Amino acid sequence: MGLESRLPDGILLTSVEKIINWGRAGSLFPLTFGLACCAIEMMSTGGPHYDISRFGMEVFRGSPRQSDLMIVAGRVSQKMAPVLRNLYDQMPEPKWVISMGVCASSGGMFNNYAIVQGVDHIVPVDMYVPGCPPRPEMLMDGIVKLHAKIKQTQFRERPRKGESMEDFRRRTGWPGPEDEELKGWAATQPTRKSGETHVAAGTGAGRFGGLRQAEHGEQH
Amino acid sequence: MPGSGSGNPNMASGESIRLRERGLPEVQLSEHLMRIRDRLVEQFDGLEVLGFRGELTLICAPEQVPDILVFCRDDDELSCEMLSDLSGVHWPGGRRQEVAEETTGWPHYESEDEPGRVELDYMLRSLRHNHVFRLRTFLPDAAPRIASVAGIYRSADVMEREAYDFLGVDFEGHPDLRRILMPDEWEGHPHRKDYPLGGVEVQYKGATVPPPDQRSY
Amino acid sequence: MSEADERVAPDRPARDGDDPVSAEQSKEERASAVASGSLIAPHTFTVGSQEWENLPDAVEDDLMVINMGPQHPSTHGVLRMVLTLDGETVVDNKPVIGYLHTGIEKNLEYRPWVLGVTFVTRMDYLSPFFNELGYCLAVEKLLGVTDEIPERASALRVILTELNRISSHLVWLATGGLELGSTSAMIYGFRERETVLDIFEYVTGLRMNHAFIRPGGLALDVPPEFNERIAHVISEMRARIDEFEDLLTGNPVWVERNKGVAILTAEQCLDLGVTGPVLRAAGIAHDLRKSAPYSNIEQYDFDVVVAETADAFGRYQIRIQEMRESLRIVEQAVAKLPSGPVMVADRKIAWPAQLALGPDGLGNSPEYISKIMGQSMEALIHHFKLVTQGFSVPEGQVYCAVESPRGELGYQVTSNGTNKPYRVRVRDPSFIHIGALPDLTAGLLVPDVIAGVASMDPVMGGVDR
Repeated sequence: MGLESRLPDGILLTSVEKIINWGRAGSLFPLTFGLACCAIEMMSTGGPHYDISRFGMEVFRGSPRQSDLMIVAGRVSQKMAPVLRNLYDQMPEPKWVISMGVCASSGGMFNNYAIVQGVDHIVPVDMYVPGCPPRPEMLMDGIVKLHAKIKQTQFRERPRKGESMEDFRRRTGWPGPEDEELKGWAATQPTRKSGETHVAAGTGAGRFGGLRQAEHGEQH
Repeated sequence: MPGSGSGNPNMASGESIRLRERGLPEVQLSEHLMRIRDRLVEQFDGLEVLGFRGELTLICAPEQVPDILVFCRDDDELSCEMLSDLSGVHWPGGRRQEVAEETTGWPHYESEDEPGRVELDYMLRSLRHNHVFRLRTFLPDAAPRIASVAGIYRSADVMEREAYDFLGVDFEGHPDLRRILMPDEWEGHPHRKDYPLGGVEVQYKGATVPPPDQRSY
Repeated sequence: MSEADERVAPDRPARDGDDPVSAEQSKEERASAVASGSLIAPHTFTVGSQEWENLPDAVEDDLMVINMGPQHPSTHGVLRMVLTLDGETVVDNKPVIGYLHTGIEKNLEYRPWVLGVTFVTRMDYLSPFFNELGYCLAVEKLLGVTDEIPERASALRVILTELNRISSHLVWLATGGLELGSTSAMIYGFRERETVLDIFEYVTGLRMNHAFIRPGGLALDVPPEFNERIAHVISEMRARIDEFEDLLTGNPVWVERNKGVAILTAEQCLDLGVTGPVLRAAGIAHDLRKSAPYSNIEQYDFDVVVAETADAFGRYQIRIQEMRESLRIVEQAVAKLPSGPVMVADRKIAWPAQLALGPDGLGNSPEYISKIMGQSMEALIHHFKLVTQGFSVPEGQVYCAVESPRGELGYQVTSNGTNKPYRVRVRDPSFIHIGALPDLTAGLLVPDVIAGVASMDPVMGGVDR
């Protein structure tokens, strides 16, 4: 993340945290990533009736480099999956992902060869908004909850630019004994084999306490 | 043909279908379509004619398709300016059985042995005379090959790519035959009956639900 | 290797089959060679951060292949176009689709006939009622009950689909306007659309993807205040469409960007299988509602809107006028709305329950539940069999087409006598129109490509299914 990688060692910041989190939550710029029917509801949310501009979010950025929220609205097909991951990687930190609709959250009604069964196979998701398609009010509820979560973020130490994970662990002692949960989770992750396309995102994921494994089925 | 395929006498809906089929008059082909049928049958030999629910279907051999299409497009009486649709159906060979819950005994469908084939349907539409009819051909499943008609109707370009992508039909002479909807390196042709649906098991409240093609109901 | 290559990528080895850039071959010849496929973008320049200043000299007489999409604010959804450009003029355009492929056609083969409606409705997501209507008409044709569909059901189907046409054209106006830079069009379009979606929610319970038109009729009857609400919608929409025209039609920016842009002549349209507003803009008055009427639509008085200009502006004018014609149809249909059931009388096909819109959505009405649970065992068994197993459809294949906002939406449905479809193939107009994109965009500037694609109105859900 931008600021966290420049923190001096071992300093707790509360007021600064609060202000920065408030700033980040106050004007999230979504990336235009509407895929299917949910995209229309997302556009309706941006429309005048269900104005998303009251959250400062009406500027849907076309370029991932300028956005910090990716709302995956719609079903993600096998062909689109690498594009999605590419776009996610192009977004600068801090970034959040809302998985809008059941197709993005879990494959929805399309349990078949063509649809990725949940976009959390590809990118780490911060908020799942179910629905087919979710009403604009539901999407806004998800956004408001995401704002609340952002405001609760504690500044965790992050690897500095160019620092390897080894050095980071040595410097900060992460994950420490209090991060048993995280440690346990990391140990259960399969190592990445070549040719695998759908791997649950690894380190750096889940600002909010680690990536929970999706509750459905096996991982592809 | 109608009413077959239901082996269980207790299946109420099959019975009612049979009853209705006996009672309903066949929807006849309109005079216009009958004239089209006569014109094509006199022009090309070996055509089979099928009338179903008021629709005209002509069944020909794969080699005749380009000639028939050219004739339909250029002939004055037929004047089919547009190829509305080019679709395919896969009829795999062998004995087909669909069995549901063994205990209740329904539904249970069987059909006989037949050689596998891929059916291609060309919907020809005329705006001037306001008619639409179907040209059907069967390709052998082992080697589904047919001449491309993209030179006759350019709308066939994308539709033939789709038929190749999903059914494995090889269109000879197509300018650019490659996959259109599936990723380029995908293996297999999804709309064939021997291709699985590919779903995952779903965990729900402690139990697992198998994907749709493996369920027994 | 030429001098130009040396400067930009000095360590690139000469490749076999490299065509040297020769000064004698003119730009036009190279352009036509690329378009015919005999010459493929001759050079690939790999440019790092310090070498950009050298690039213009190297490429000034070369064609550039750039990629537009699949994530792009101005393409209509996940459409990817690989443009071969000469400067800013498009020489060749290869659309790449499939980024939204959902395998709906294959999924339909594993579900009973009625459940197919829920899948089919999500294909062309801007006009869900049309998808449902086409599918149900095809299933009813196979069942042989087309004449037994009650008139009230047919009339309501017409009302719902024509309202859907209006909402689809409004989204087209909104997104088309947004892509060309008019944010006001976007705001107005979505505001108007909410009026129509309110009616949909009132009748079906959902704003989109309704699964309301079912084989045999409709899921349930309209609620009591329907007529008043429709009258309100009609009067509001008339005023608002006029507002839209005021905003855009005389607007010099809009006119400049759309007049004369993306011309597709009548011969090209017919050859490429293009239907809908694009074909009507080329002067051919072909509308399936007139030539092959469905659902008793021939009793209503409306005009087929045609333009002679074959450009994007003509298509815009047609769509605006089509919205007005749809309002006319809805008005007449509501005035003439017959009373009666909304589901076919045959108890072996009709959905057994009287559905009702309760506080938690669409479901069985409490009276019906008490009947099957408390009173009649036969009714319970009948309900159970019809809901889980579904009805069986006679063997055969039919083709049924409706006039969706984008063109001819056809369903080629094959049944093998069982309770699940054997194969449903959807002839989606947007899919065919994507095949027409290379012709549409040949010789246009890049911004005109955006205007042209917007005027074709492809919906990627329908393209990729």
